[in-house]
Amino acid sequence: MAGYRIGRRELLAGAATAALLPGALAAQGNKTGVDASTWTPDYINKLAGTAEYDTAAECAKVVPLDYKGRLTYWYWGVNQASTEIERKMEADFFAAFAKTYPNIELVKQNLDYNAMLDKLRTASIGKSAPMVARLPILWGSEFAAKGQLMAFGPNDVGYSEDEFWPGALKSVTWKGKRYGVPTNNETMAFIWNAALFKEAGLDPDKAPATWEDVVAYSKQIKEKTGKNGYGMVARVNAGNTPFRFMPQLWAFGGGALDEAEASPTYSKIMLNSPGAKAALQASYDMYVRDKSVPVSALTNTQTENQDPFIAGQLAMMISHPSEYALMIERARKATGADKQVADNVVANMRYGLIPRGPARRAVVFGGSNAHVFNPNIVEGGMDLQAVKAFVAFMTGPEWSIKLAWNISNPGNVRGFRTKWMRERLDTIRFLDVSTSMLPNGIPFPVLPQSAEIMNIIVPNMLQNTLTRKMTPDQAAENAAKELKALINDL
Amino acid sequence: MVRHRADYLYVAPAILVMGLVIAYPVWFTFYLSVFSTPPNLALEDKIFVGLDNYGRILGADSVREASLNTLVWTVASTGFAFVLGFGAALALNRPFRGRGLLRGTLLVPYVISAVAAAYVWRWLLHSDLGVISALAMASGLRSTPFNFLDNTDTVLASLIMVNVWKEFPFVMIMMLAGLQTVPDQLLRAAQVDGAGPWQRFWHITVPHLGNVSLVTILLLLAANFNGFTIPWVMTGGGPAGASEIWITQIYQLAFGRIRFGLASAYSVILFAVMMTMGYFYVRALVGKDRPS
Repeated sequence: MAGYRIGRRELLAGAATAALLPGALAAQGNKTGVDASTWTPDYINKLAGTAEYDTAAECAKVVPLDYKGRLTYWYWGVNQASTEIERKMEADFFAAFAKTYPNIELVKQNLDYNAMLDKLRTASIGKSAPMVARLPILWGSEFAAKGQLMAFGPNDVGYSEDEFWPGALKSVTWKGKRYGVPTNNETMAFIWNAALFKEAGLDPDKAPATWEDVVAYSKQIKEKTGKNGYGMVARVNAGNTPFRFMPQLWAFGGGALDEAEASPTYSKIMLNSPGAKAALQASYDMYVRDKSVPVSALTNTQTENQDPFIAGQLAMMISHPSEYALMIERARKATGADKQVADNVVANMRYGLIPRGPARRAVVFGGSNAHVFNPNIVEGGMDLQAVKAFVAFMTGPEWSIKLAWNISNPGNVRGFRTKWMRERLDTIRFLDVSTSMLPNGIPFPVLPQSAEIMNIIVPNMLQNTLTRKMTPDQAAENAAKELKALINDL
Repeated sequence: MVRHRADYLYVAPAILVMGLVIAYPVWFTFYLSVFSTPPNLALEDKIFVGLDNYGRILGADSVREASLNTLVWTVASTGFAFVLGFGAALALNRPFRGRGLLRGTLLVPYVISAVAAAYVWRWLLHSDLGVISALAMASGLRSTPFNFLDNTDTVLASLIMVNVWKEFPFVMIMMLAGLQTVPDQLLRAAQVDGAGPWQRFWHITVPHLGNVSLVTILLLLAANFNGFTIPWVMTGGGPAGASEIWITQIYQLAFGRIRFGLASAYSVILFAVMMTMGYFYVRALVGKDRPS
């Protein structure tokens, strides 16, 4: 890893991204009152609570409030791991929609994240898709490429495209057409336990600045405290894996394709680039050489990191701002000696920016989009007016922030100006930190095979390295070969 | 034929339903297996590729690796489940106090949902937080946790152990039923003639259990070839493909990689293997009724 040098080409690409992004964001700011080119925790704080919006009035311009119709909607909503506030917001949302459009019958299905994609694929083939589905950012392009989605964008529900992040719009674009409306966008942050840092002789209030620091800190924590350092996640077929590994890959100058470059072509394979190999080597160093991360990383998702973190057995991890609320809830439920440990962990929880690498600081630009399915595969036929009413209601400034309360950010950037953003900032600790990562966000490749690349090829490459089935070099070359075959197969 | 025309009419609804729920999916799988279905194309835009999918499946390194895993998984699961189940049946065939309760208790793994069992075992065997490791460490037997599921050398054996736990009660029930058919007078006559317990078991009990054993083993082999739930829930075929078996690979190809054509070709190969086993199963069932 120490031998890795960032190439001139990679440096130029990173510089180009940095140069182009503020221009696009500044233009957006003139029209929405949200200037994302000056996106700092201070700016986010100043902006909050400066505007009010009337959701019903905005929706009425798209579809009359007395419209009578029927809507089918599938989504990935609250589950057993959700916080109380998430449950409340989701319940309030459906109640508010029913009140605003009392004559639209809403038939909804809350699906498990890991089962939803397969179910939608099967339903689409069987012509029994819902009218609307809210899908994670990675999934939409596959359905758009197959002609299973209807061309449908922000303009169809009365919103200007300037109200959404450019990266989010990119994720709903296929062959120049919009196939969805962004509902929420988020970037994760780096979380650490300050008490464990202190115990290991590290500065408790300073996050590792680089990925090389993460490797070194993880080793030091393991050696000095016996606890695991970094909460690596490397399970195949789990969305958590690419969300934690891709920032590392991009930071070292790698990528799956050229998605991290200013104008990605998605035809250049980067999995076997020196940057990708250096990122793999860093993971190898933590898992195999130093043994400073959980042994179970190969079968773990982020959920399995939560218990050791609250028990003070894990020092660092990458996650959402909601992780703090989750830890508070876990601490509240703890009893006896566990309660004391958990309270201590919550008090010592810190958030920082995800570390830089030799090429850049990067994070996955995540989120979800509302998509409308092609009428010829929708079960029971399409009610486009009901669809427009619902999507307008969900993606406006009010509900795009409320539904994202402690897990994400509003897809509609006007949401940042609302009083609810003020309330979030006042009640959700560290929200400003994770929100300020947004300009470093890189979306996954907008390709129909993105889910396969991110959920199978990339985690397999990681597993081949961590199990020593292959060297980092061999694993990277093997993954690149597989990716090439995948691209050529289309 | 003419005389029995009405009979055909009576069975027609059943034939129709079987055609719809069995024949059509089988035919469609065969049909799809000669098409390429890349993820950027809708199913109706599939491309005809002839037998190319079969060539790709049979030539893939990962399939060879999974084939070996499938063989080990199927044979070991079947063998250990049979031995354990047979042993339990022999023990429970003799009357003793609390036999009913013990029979009921031993049936628990069989009646528990496979998904629930897989999740429970995933936590029991977890490499960092597993209960088994915690107990071993608390009792001083180990200083570090066991690495059951995150190690390419131990993962398949761990899954087989869970599968045996889940399946042995089935063998137990089958063999208990078989043991009831062993003629008591024959056993007593042998005892009178001076045959010891081992001789009675080997020369009387075992021959009488031949058919039920064969049927049980064939059913177990078929179930294990298709044993998807435990490996998928516990490891997803990992780490690094070390617990990948045919059926998990087929699922991954179809729903993870959206290659319905390739997955169909793979399924047809599995179907051929299963049909061969089915043939022997039917022969075992029918054979005993044939006059010698």
